[in-house]
Amino acid sequence: MVNENLVKDVVKEPYKYGFVTDIETEKIEKGLNEDIIKLISQKKEEPKFLLDFRLKAFKKWQKMKEPDWAALGYKNIDYQDIIYYSAPKQKEKISSLDEVDPKLLETFDKLGIPLTEQKKLTNVAVDAVFDSVSIATTFREELAEHGVIFCSISEAVKNHADLIEKYLGTVVPANDNYFAALNSAVFSDGSFVYIPKGVTCPMDLSSYFRINSGDSGQFERTLIIAEESSSVSYLEGCTAPMFDTNTLHAAVVELVALDDASIKYSTVQNWYAGDEEGIGGIFNFVTKRGKCLGKRSKISWSQVETGSAITWKYPSCLLLGEESVGEFYSVALTNNLQQADTGTKMIHIGPKTKSTIVSKGISAGNSKNSYRGLVKMGTKATGSRNYSQCDSMLIGDQASANTFPYIKSQQPNSEIEHEASTCRISEDQLFYLQSRGIEFEEAVSMMVSGFCRDVFNQLPMEFAAEADKLLALKLEGSVG
Amino acid sequence: MEIIEKIKTNKSIDNQTEIQKICLHKLQSSPLPNPKSELWRLSNKSKLSNFLDYSINEKDSQFDMPYPKNSASTIRLIIGENCQIKLIEKNYSIQQLSEDEIQKYIKEQISFFKQNENWSDLLNLSLSCKNNILGLKINGSKIPPIEIFSHASSNSLNAKTLVIFLEKNCDVELLQVNLGKENSSLSQSTFFCLKENSSVNHGVVSYGENRSNLLNSLNVIQQKNSAYNLGSLHFKFNYARFEISIKQSSGNAKTNIKGMQITKKDEQISTYTKIEFNGPNGFLDQINKSLADDKSHAIFEGSIIVPKIAQRTDASQLSRNLLLSNLAQIDTKPQLEIIADDVKCKHGATISQLNEEELFYMRTRGITLTEASKLQLSSYFQEIISFIPISKDKWDLLDKLLNEN
Repeated sequence: MVNENLVKDVVKEPYKYGFVTDIETEKIEKGLNEDIIKLISQKKEEPKFLLDFRLKAFKKWQKMKEPDWAALGYKNIDYQDIIYYSAPKQKEKISSLDEVDPKLLETFDKLGIPLTEQKKLTNVAVDAVFDSVSIATTFREELAEHGVIFCSISEAVKNHADLIEKYLGTVVPANDNYFAALNSAVFSDGSFVYIPKGVTCPMDLSSYFRINSGDSGQFERTLIIAEESSSVSYLEGCTAPMFDTNTLHAAVVELVALDDASIKYSTVQNWYAGDEEGIGGIFNFVTKRGKCLGKRSKISWSQVETGSAITWKYPSCLLLGEESVGEFYSVALTNNLQQADTGTKMIHIGPKTKSTIVSKGISAGNSKNSYRGLVKMGTKATGSRNYSQCDSMLIGDQASANTFPYIKSQQPNSEIEHEASTCRISEDQLFYLQSRGIEFEEAVSMMVSGFCRDVFNQLPMEFAAEADKLLALKLEGSVG
Repeated sequence: MEIIEKIKTNKSIDNQTEIQKICLHKLQSSPLPNPKSELWRLSNKSKLSNFLDYSINEKDSQFDMPYPKNSASTIRLIIGENCQIKLIEKNYSIQQLSEDEIQKYIKEQISFFKQNENWSDLLNLSLSCKNNILGLKINGSKIPPIEIFSHASSNSLNAKTLVIFLEKNCDVELLQVNLGKENSSLSQSTFFCLKENSSVNHGVVSYGENRSNLLNSLNVIQQKNSAYNLGSLHFKFNYARFEISIKQSSGNAKTNIKGMQITKKDEQISTYTKIEFNGPNGFLDQINKSLADDKSHAIFEGSIIVPKIAQRTDASQLSRNLLLSNLAQIDTKPQLEIIADDVKCKHGATISQLNEEELFYMRTRGITLTEASKLQLSSYFQEIISFIPISKDKWDLLDKLLNEN
């Protein structure tokens, strides 16, 4: 017989990234108005088109209403009580990592992020974003040899304005939704990746997002463009310190894949989730969308969502190009009073497009975990196919698991298959493992890991190891 | 929308019963459903307002039976006509519910109503006059099949209400037929209360004629150890919605639902189901099929709600859809909301067209394309039709459907 309390203990895990780095930062005053936006734009020395983009987005945002359709309950966000720009004070220009504040480097070391280029063994190029500003991007020269551009978006605005002007806001328009509009108006930094024609990116690219101050929101924007026949794998990690207040994180990610290009975007999200009483934690409202513009292009999202008090996130694919492919693999673990409403949208527009959705939700404690997804076959999507599978696992009788798939077809010559199931950790299986001498805690962890296997298999190696460790950590408790 | 004006001003609905008063009061401030909730339900606004365009008619035109009576023992009732019934036999009894009983039950139900979710019922109960409410109390077993008809006359809106109590250990077969005449709107609300150990095979067949509309709502309360089997078929309506709400009030009950909707031309037919388990050991097996052709639109939205108390629930829901035309559209939303942890819940949904390999196989055996498609459709339909309690000899629904498709 499984002791319910044991299971509850097992899923408890202290948040180990909860420290604050004491570093001098430059912040602007709280609140949001046109002047603030102009100030952000001015601080970043942006060209006029970007300021116009921001102001237009702000005007639209003012007219929009915060969405309330998600199965989430949270206290109202006071958008005037947020600092929209916060950056570590540093020298004007950094030519090498030696000039970065050692405290910052220490922070990223603590987080286990290989910022120093000596750690070449890992073969991952990192762009680290601290609060609002990108701190350092590694391996730049090596990438430049292949023609790959990997830098912070503010640098890209200065050095590659043409690309930014051409692609920014084409996948997620400024008025797409409330949080995307807010991001478009105030985004501070983020990563920019450009893979030229025919290039397979020689290493995995990674960005690491760190919120440090308690009263500033983080609004980063990522733009990845994969030209014809190119491919890239991009990893994203997130942590934040523990504060009693809720911090807003509203990011936008845009991916563009041209003919035969492929983009793999993996996320391990471990923002601070709040304490057991639900105090504090990050409000994570993210718009991620990829556009398979070219023929035979492919965009694959994989995500492991374990943090945040509130998660509102639907990485989507617009499948325009003929025979383009969209994929979504997700594990969402919620515990205590966390709430996650996450899923995907696969919009089939072009003919012979294919999409696969595999979503695994694990809810423990008093948490709420919802899958919400849309699969749409447009009138021209002849010969298109979709397969979706959504499984939920419930741990304890206080947690809830919801599934809300929306399926829409306007094309008879297409096929959609969807299945969803709910289960719990089976007592028989637990008993079996325990009778073989496996500790209860390890047995639970093994079973959760097995439940998520389909998704972990899709993660790049570095992340798969991290994700496995993360889930094991979440499941590590006081049971001895 | 004459009716909405009437509701707003609360005029010209004479001799209001207490229920009508309550419902009118509830509707008065906002007589139309919330546009946002209708948007989520993908309702076609102009079709919905077309439903309300006819004037209310409390008296029906002459009713023509769609098929002859199967056997002498079959009990036939037509809502709205003077259908006095009091049958007390050795094994069973069928009696009319008194006005007080109906009022008490409906009042209790209304107290749980939400304006957005139960708009169809509120509208029905506001418009349904005393004569158009039929209440039955059924007891015993070996009861002859019961057929209940409801229809709307041309160029008018008719509201009919049916309340049925199945007493303990009762076992019955009941077929409900809703017919829509040309240019008519029918609002049909049915309230079913299944007491302990009772069981019913309930069939709902609704079909209309040119430009007829239907709002059909079904509210079922299932007590312990009851079994509710529903087979439903909706077709040939310009606009129809079938709203099913089933509550297993203390779990330990069985629900089987097999439903189908067929849309052609520019019709829109939708089915919304909400199944709540308010106790442990509940069982649900649901399949909903849609077929959309021409420029039509078929919608299915099903939610299964399993609260903490409903441990060991076993629920499955399947939505199977055939899309036969480039201009037709199918939407399906199967939903699960689960808090209990020891449950087995699953759902599945597919949208496709007729299986090409099967068609090819049949054609290689010398069967024409039309014949082969018919064969495939008939197997698709048969699963649902065989679940509807109906006599095959007298009213062959399958033939009726195949001839029209």
